[in-house]
Amino acid sequence: MGTKSNVLDKYSARVYKNRKEHIVEIDESAPEQQIAANTRSVPGIMTNRGCCYAGCKGVVLGPLKDVLVITHGPIGCGFYSWGTRRNKAKTDDGRNFIQYCFSTDMQEPDIVFGGEKKLRQAIKEAVEIFKPKNVMICSTCPVGLIGDDIHAVAAESEKLYGISCTAFSCEGYKGVSQSAGHHIANNGIMRRVIGTGDAAPKTRYSINLLGEYNIGGDGWETERILRRAGYDVIAVMTGDGSAEALSRAHLANLNLVQCHRSINYIAEMMKDRFGIRWLKVNFIGIESTIASLREMAEFFGDSELKLRTEDVIADELSEIAEEREYYREKLSGKTAALYVGGSRSHHYQYLLRDFGVKTVLAGHEFAHRDDYEGRRVIPDIKEDADNKNIESITVERDDARYSAFLTAEQYDELRGKIQLEDYKGIIPDMQDGSVVVDDLNHYETEAFLEVLKPDIFMSGIKDKYELQKAGVVSRQLHSYDYSGPYAGFRGAIKFASDLTMGLYTPAWRLVTPPWRNEPILRGTVGYAEKTEAAQNA
Amino acid sequence: MKSELVNLNVNPCKMCMPMGAVTALAGLRGCMTILHGSQGCATYIRRHMATHYNEPVDIASSSLTEEGTVFGGEKNLVKGIENLVNLYDPDVIGVCTTCLAETIGEDVPRILADFKASRPDLRAGIINVTSAGYSGTQYEGFFRALRAAAEQVEPDAAPNGRINIITGHLSAADTRRLKALLKEMSVDAILLPDLSENLDGGHEETYSRLPRGGTPVSDVAKMAGARASIELAAFIDEARSPARYLLEAHGVPFIRLNPPVGLRDTDAFIKALASLGGVVTPELKKERARCLDAMIDSHKYNAKAVAAVFGEPDFAYSVTRLLTENGARVALAATGSVCRDFAEKILAETGRVRDYHIDSESAALDDCDFDTIERRAAELGVNILIGSSDGRRAAEHLKLPLVRCAFPIHDHVGGQRVRMLGYDGAAALLDRVTNTVLSNVEETFRGEMFEKYHRAESVLTPRGAGNSISPHGGKVSALPHPCFDGCSSKYARLHLPVAPSCNIRCNYCVRDYDCPNESRPGVTSGILSPAEALERFRRVRAALPELAVAGIAGPGDALADFGLTRETLSLIRGEDKNVSLCVSTNGLLLPFYADELSSLGVTHVTVTVNAANPTIGARVYGHIDYFGERFYGDAAAGILLANQLAGIARCAALGITVKVNAVMIKGVNDSHIPDIASRVRGLGCSITNIMRMIPVPGSAFENIPPPGERELEDTRLECEKILPQLRGCRGCRADAAGTLDRDFPLSDISRPAAPEPCGKRAPSARFAVSSKNGVLVDTHFGHTTEFYIYEYSDGGARLRERRPVEEYCAGEEGTGGAGKMDRILKTIEDCDYVLSARIGDSPRGRLASRGVKIHTSYAKIEDAILEAVTKYERSNAI
Repeated sequence: MGTKSNVLDKYSARVYKNRKEHIVEIDESAPEQQIAANTRSVPGIMTNRGCCYAGCKGVVLGPLKDVLVITHGPIGCGFYSWGTRRNKAKTDDGRNFIQYCFSTDMQEPDIVFGGEKKLRQAIKEAVEIFKPKNVMICSTCPVGLIGDDIHAVAAESEKLYGISCTAFSCEGYKGVSQSAGHHIANNGIMRRVIGTGDAAPKTRYSINLLGEYNIGGDGWETERILRRAGYDVIAVMTGDGSAEALSRAHLANLNLVQCHRSINYIAEMMKDRFGIRWLKVNFIGIESTIASLREMAEFFGDSELKLRTEDVIADELSEIAEEREYYREKLSGKTAALYVGGSRSHHYQYLLRDFGVKTVLAGHEFAHRDDYEGRRVIPDIKEDADNKNIESITVERDDARYSAFLTAEQYDELRGKIQLEDYKGIIPDMQDGSVVVDDLNHYETEAFLEVLKPDIFMSGIKDKYELQKAGVVSRQLHSYDYSGPYAGFRGAIKFASDLTMGLYTPAWRLVTPPWRNEPILRGTVGYAEKTEAAQNA
Repeated sequence: MKSELVNLNVNPCKMCMPMGAVTALAGLRGCMTILHGSQGCATYIRRHMATHYNEPVDIASSSLTEEGTVFGGEKNLVKGIENLVNLYDPDVIGVCTTCLAETIGEDVPRILADFKASRPDLRAGIINVTSAGYSGTQYEGFFRALRAAAEQVEPDAAPNGRINIITGHLSAADTRRLKALLKEMSVDAILLPDLSENLDGGHEETYSRLPRGGTPVSDVAKMAGARASIELAAFIDEARSPARYLLEAHGVPFIRLNPPVGLRDTDAFIKALASLGGVVTPELKKERARCLDAMIDSHKYNAKAVAAVFGEPDFAYSVTRLLTENGARVALAATGSVCRDFAEKILAETGRVRDYHIDSESAALDDCDFDTIERRAAELGVNILIGSSDGRRAAEHLKLPLVRCAFPIHDHVGGQRVRMLGYDGAAALLDRVTNTVLSNVEETFRGEMFEKYHRAESVLTPRGAGNSISPHGGKVSALPHPCFDGCSSKYARLHLPVAPSCNIRCNYCVRDYDCPNESRPGVTSGILSPAEALERFRRVRAALPELAVAGIAGPGDALADFGLTRETLSLIRGEDKNVSLCVSTNGLLLPFYADELSSLGVTHVTVTVNAANPTIGARVYGHIDYFGERFYGDAAAGILLANQLAGIARCAALGITVKVNAVMIKGVNDSHIPDIASRVRGLGCSITNIMRMIPVPGSAFENIPPPGERELEDTRLECEKILPQLRGCRGCRADAAGTLDRDFPLSDISRPAAPEPCGKRAPSARFAVSSKNGVLVDTHFGHTTEFYIYEYSDGGARLRERRPVEEYCAGEEGTGGAGKMDRILKTIEDCDYVLSARIGDSPRGRLASRGVKIHTSYAKIEDAILEAVTKYERSNAI
């Protein structure tokens, strides 16, 4: 337990007590290690977490390209969530709302006298100018407090303009992180969008890709592979997604879940309402992409599909074989730390493993215990005041459109074989001695760097520069530093080339100035030669 | 002036108050800031600042949850401050409120007083800033924080002989320059704030969590005992002015100056410093001389700049002054903040160019969003944008360069190193602007020179050399029809826009603009009801006795709302027994209505068939809507094809002349078109019309190039072996009227445009108008596909004709092909004026070099013509 106590030492007793529950050193001899997650952040401790609004508008609804999302609130929240996630989207008709930021820009009088009137007018203006079919309203902190009934305004707008209009009460103070916003967005999409589209013939290999936000084009690379293997991708939630596609999502035979944290609610609800099974997949990493493709073929069970899957795998592998070998040689033996949102810190371990990189620390910003320990713990998760406030809806079976692809027997048989409606979490996948942290903060990041000395630290913009100042190669896994895609086969090579470039860039060798005559570096830095250079100097 | 949308802010040109407050506090030494509110505020602001400065930006949050919101956030705030103290040991703690804290009415001063009382050992001072996001923008937040610092730090009023320099938001590099300048002039200054180190740190051997640079709190205290203050901000209101506070509370006199950007304002600043004892060194004099020299060197290029500057009020004003003194024209200055004096001050500055610029229209807008900036920039003929990277969407839409030099810069690096302050800063920013102008010139000048000096008359080809259909056999209806019997000008036709909706989605189509390829124009001035259609028919027939054909060609599909089509056709038939009736359709519903069309007297039907097998069809069509269901892919293409074929066969059997239009799409159906021709010939189709696909931005096929003339002609020749080919199709609008060569002006239905009387007095001016709807000037010059040609004389304007921009210039193919712009320019070469909604720099230059007068407007065409005439008459008079 050395690592953990080293890091926690500086905390006051109260903070120590809180934080120690959020840090787990993996001990393979101790089964079922527990972690505290999805609880309040300690104030003042420089958490990297965002708010409920960020999860709802920024993450889940933001990428919907045919939806005009109006932020109801003062200007800041709308501005800060404008085009910051690198969700790429391309539209058939040239109307792409994700390039826009729409806000009611509330002023002091609106806070005092209520903002409903302004919201109503703003919708009118938006409809007149942009003619959207679909408007969504996201509220920010003050809106919940002053009591604007955004849901009534939405309902009224639907009647007035003949559009679909849905309101999301995702005030920033709700829940403890972005996660609450994901849930609220999931509920709204399930209630108001999924299953409202025109019926079309259901094809056999129809799937939805859930929890893929097309950051840097990941969704496009994934879809490319899925199409090659013969799948019909109906809707992607929500990267390069649209309300139009989501409305037909009930026509799939299988839901793939990439980001478990942000979208498992919809997967579960679609199972209940439409009988669509879900499968946990991971298209980050070469071997994990292969495993996911094989599990999908197993789900559908056709020998022809299985053969085609193998053909695609073989072909894709041969295309990247040479580069894969080259980068493996460059990266093998390096160590990495990962701190991302709620799923990526797990997904990327597979990709790193493909190139021989070991993960020494992994953490999530806003994951729940099931993301760490697996869905088996869901019944044991205690509800607290914060998550009780987030509505958890249950849906009724839609008899007319319910169609289960598998029989009960087939389901039971497959459940043993593939990750069908299960997620085992990040902890079972991590090696002895590595560390899992929930809600890592500025101070701990620095402390862990000293103790674990990873070569690469992959996280987000808020710690990127802190890491670089400390001499560690950083890569943003929220936005890929303008690179990507990293998904699938080609993405894996792109990722490896970015890491190699980061580790071997000559600038790192110049970190030590020529007039220094003893190596004083604390912690290893990206490139081995650097220490060497320091010694030579 | 307010933005046009009063309730909806589209693409904001401002941030919130806490953003400004934390930025200002980042300029204090050893300061950690905590935002009292939801976590998201701190996280979002850290994200935005870190991306701009490429530095760690650590802002804590009191992480208020629903509980805190209901029961008050005191516990969280106190805990947060304690943790900051424990982990960072700061010299000073900034406590800024957010929307949430202010809305629940937190009494933060009371909480902080209690906290301090309970912690007598606390080393750190606390500065409390009231900064609700809804009470102002980052501009006000910044000065509020500075004023709070001046007010709340325990003053040390003992006279110290120093000078307070108070600035707004400067880049780190500019702040360093300012410090160097003060040092060079031997001015002992207290600079508030100083974010030069904290927001642009180096790569050090050890990294300190606590910001080590910035103004020490002890210096903030000493501001009360300074000799004088200089506040470098043009628009700060007195209630937020730290200098005003220092005067009122401690009697420190102050001077307010513009930020030292540009020669005049730097001069003023240095003069002020000199009057307070600063030394003007020879090096400084040399620097000024170099700046002036640089300005003189580049003014001739800058004169071509027509800039839009946007950002915080001070930034917009400073850059406007810098550009103006260098001969550039700032046509638009805008800020997202509400700023009373903004317009007045800006216009006083931009008005100076009236002395030497013929085109001196300029605007200054406060409380403005990017939607408005973009629209106004277009109207004002702006050719360069200057501001934050948030202008990149506008730049992309307007196809203009953007000089990024204000916070935030998120898509480029170097935000912290932007320079504009002082003499060298002025030269640095000016160089960037000048070079942006020059690279534009470099890219376009060859074309302009060619236009001006080498444009040989022989290159010109006469317009309107239409071809008629080939003399091959094939059934041709006895009644004349211009679209079937060749584009003859003998017959006139009238398209009645009564069909509003479409039931299929072609991948080359963007319904916003209506179908670009089939009835290109689906663009109409409006949908008519059947009764209105009859009325139009009557009026056109009265004016055009040669009217032979009335048809329905959109703007949607004529059969999608068959009720309207049926009613219109029967009204026309009741009115006129002889006129030919025709209908154009995608064929999806043709089998169901063919019999009825025949009995209504329709003699000509055009069906657009882009594929004769479903696999190819699935690539052309996105979906179809068929009896209440939407079909996609092969299923959609299969249903459509089956119905097209059945419909064509049925029409032919009923004796209706059937033409098949096929849109040739490279790489999709181009080699497949002869198959289509064979397929429909067997069903009784008489003629095919192969059209080129025009890529429409935003459509699925936007990146597919249109087929070349040769490819098109080769395909026609091949298909000619199967069926007669229509050539020279004009792709008439859904509301076309008149003969194919000379359109009938619908706006002036009682006075048809007569051919120009020969030998009579020359018309005084000819206008080429970029318009889609024929009512307003509404089209970008470069996007114009058809010009409305007006003539103006004796105070009145009249439509003469509508002139399509030729899709190609056959005579020039071998010469490397003419660009779209060349074709446009050629189309309107006889015009004296161009009226368009916007116009690019290059065509503006090329037109001007030919002496063509340009006027941009969004007004009604007639009004715009009068505007233009007045404008140029006035300038002539001057």
